[in-house]
Amino acid sequence: MIRDFIRRRSINLGLVMTGGCNGCDIEIVALLSQRYDLEQYGIFYHNNPRECDALLVTGTVAKQWQEKLVELYNKVPEPKAVVAIGACALSGGIFQQETGKVAAPVREIIPVDAEVPGCPPRPAEIAIAVLKHVPPALASYRRKS
Amino acid sequence: MSYLPFGPIHPALKEPLRIKLKTEGERVVDAEVDLGFIYRGAEQIARGKPWQKVAYLTERICGICSDAHPHTFIEGLEAISDCVPPVRAQYSRVIMGELNRIHSHLIANAIWFLAVEHETLGIYNLNIREKVMDLLEMISGNRVLYSWNLVGGVRMDFKESHLKKILENLKEVESEVYRYRKMFKSDALLGLRSHDVGKMSKEDAIDVRAVGPVARGSGVKFDWRTKHPTYVDYFDFQPVWRDECDNYARVMMRFDEVLDSIKIIRRAVEELPDGPIRKECEIPRGSIDYRYEAPRGELAYIFETAQHGIINDITIRTPTIPNLEACVKHMFRDSPTIADAVAIYQTIDPCIACTERVVIVDEKGNENDFRGMQNVLKELKALKNKKK
Ligand code: SF4
Repeated sequence: MIRDFIRRRSINLGLVMTGGCNGCDIEIVALLSQRYDLEQYGIFYHNNPRECDALLVTGTVAKQWQEKLVELYNKVPEPKAVVAIGACALSGGIFQQETGKVAAPVREIIPVDAEVPGCPPRPAEIAIAVLKHVPPALASYRRKS
Repeated sequence: MSYLPFGPIHPALKEPLRIKLKTEGERVVDAEVDLGFIYRGAEQIARGKPWQKVAYLTERICGICSDAHPHTFIEGLEAISDCVPPVRAQYSRVIMGELNRIHSHLIANAIWFLAVEHETLGIYNLNIREKVMDLLEMISGNRVLYSWNLVGGVRMDFKESHLKKILENLKEVESEVYRYRKMFKSDALLGLRSHDVGKMSKEDAIDVRAVGPVARGSGVKFDWRTKHPTYVDYFDFQPVWRDECDNYARVMMRFDEVLDSIKIIRRAVEELPDGPIRKECEIPRGSIDYRYEAPRGELAYIFETAQHGIINDITIRTPTIPNLEACVKHMFRDSPTIADAVAIYQTIDPCIACTERVVIVDEKGNENDFRGMQNVLKELKALKNKKK
């Protein structure tokens, strides 16, 4: 129980940009500012996949990323959660066309816990998605024996 | 001699790319950059589409300079069709463009301060940027992608209340930026990380064709806005520049340009003329090479249209390409520590989403050229065949 309590209270985030336009990424960076202040919820933004609890995936999963994203996901220690952000990550967005070079959506490549639609979503929406869906996903984890 | 690879995912990088540093102890002697992680093929999608669709696509090439891309593209189309938009539309383009520049420069500096672990100034910069984002959202309805420009004018008109709010928020931004400038100037720690680190002389900057604040930080007095018709006709624009040639100059350049942009916006708001915001334009066949000063430097759109505004062919050259080259070739040389290399990399304000433009894959190992050159060769061949 103590373990679940602590897991809920301290979350490290890692950002993976897999294509797309950067718009979603700067909205995530904007979450650091005093107006949104993500750290007040015990969420720390640290871009290192080996140390993080939750991956924020933005962008269209360019062909180069298709296998690397699975590898990266496997490197994140258990328990872990994934939040896909933006129209690009959800469906490929504007880049999903016959001539496009993208492998979106993210949910078909790695398991996703929460999705935030929008091009780009507002910072507050991203913060709500992370706060609502990541702690339960981490706390409900039980090691498979 | 040893190699230190960074990336594509690394705490110091916000976007995926791989940098391979060749080091001697802590000193960096050489570097290599490996791109191509987020190639999406925007040019291929654009081919054969009407301009209305391509304008939305160009906006999504880069989310930080999301006004500069459609701005350049649309003004290029107007230049093809010999159509001058109404003066009020030109003014509102200037206001949007400069607001976009301010928010881009503020986030660039914020990320630099976070990269050298000066969190106070980093978070301050991010926070004051929210004021500018509020303005952009109030005017256009979206924080990041504005869809502001259309052929022959702009999408929406300013209200009286918008103009008042712009002046109000900008006053706050200006006084804060003056304060951060002073903090940056007088901070001993930041001085150690910025003075005489990442030197690039003026000759080198011209040699690698560096653009934007990176070139102007090395004393190259050039800005595409000095050739832009609106800025020439109504704003008598003068570029700002510095000659320290190091990290300090490049960060300071961005603060200076923010203050300069605020002055331009203030003037535009005060002199904003009445009148329509859009007029009709017919887009004929044609081709053009149009350039504009994006927040990071020269942005070139080279494209060809068919009848009724269908885009036949498009090539986009973004400012980070030469700047990355400048960084790798000149700034990384003799950087005293690896931590400094990260700081240097952030001062060029890299935007990898812009940079991923061409991927050349050749399985047979033939010598391959960029598409532009191949087109020329093809045309020459066709001409020869015709003569025969
Ligand atoms: S969803 Fe929209 S804003 Fe986000 S990366 Fe894709 S194009 Fe950019």
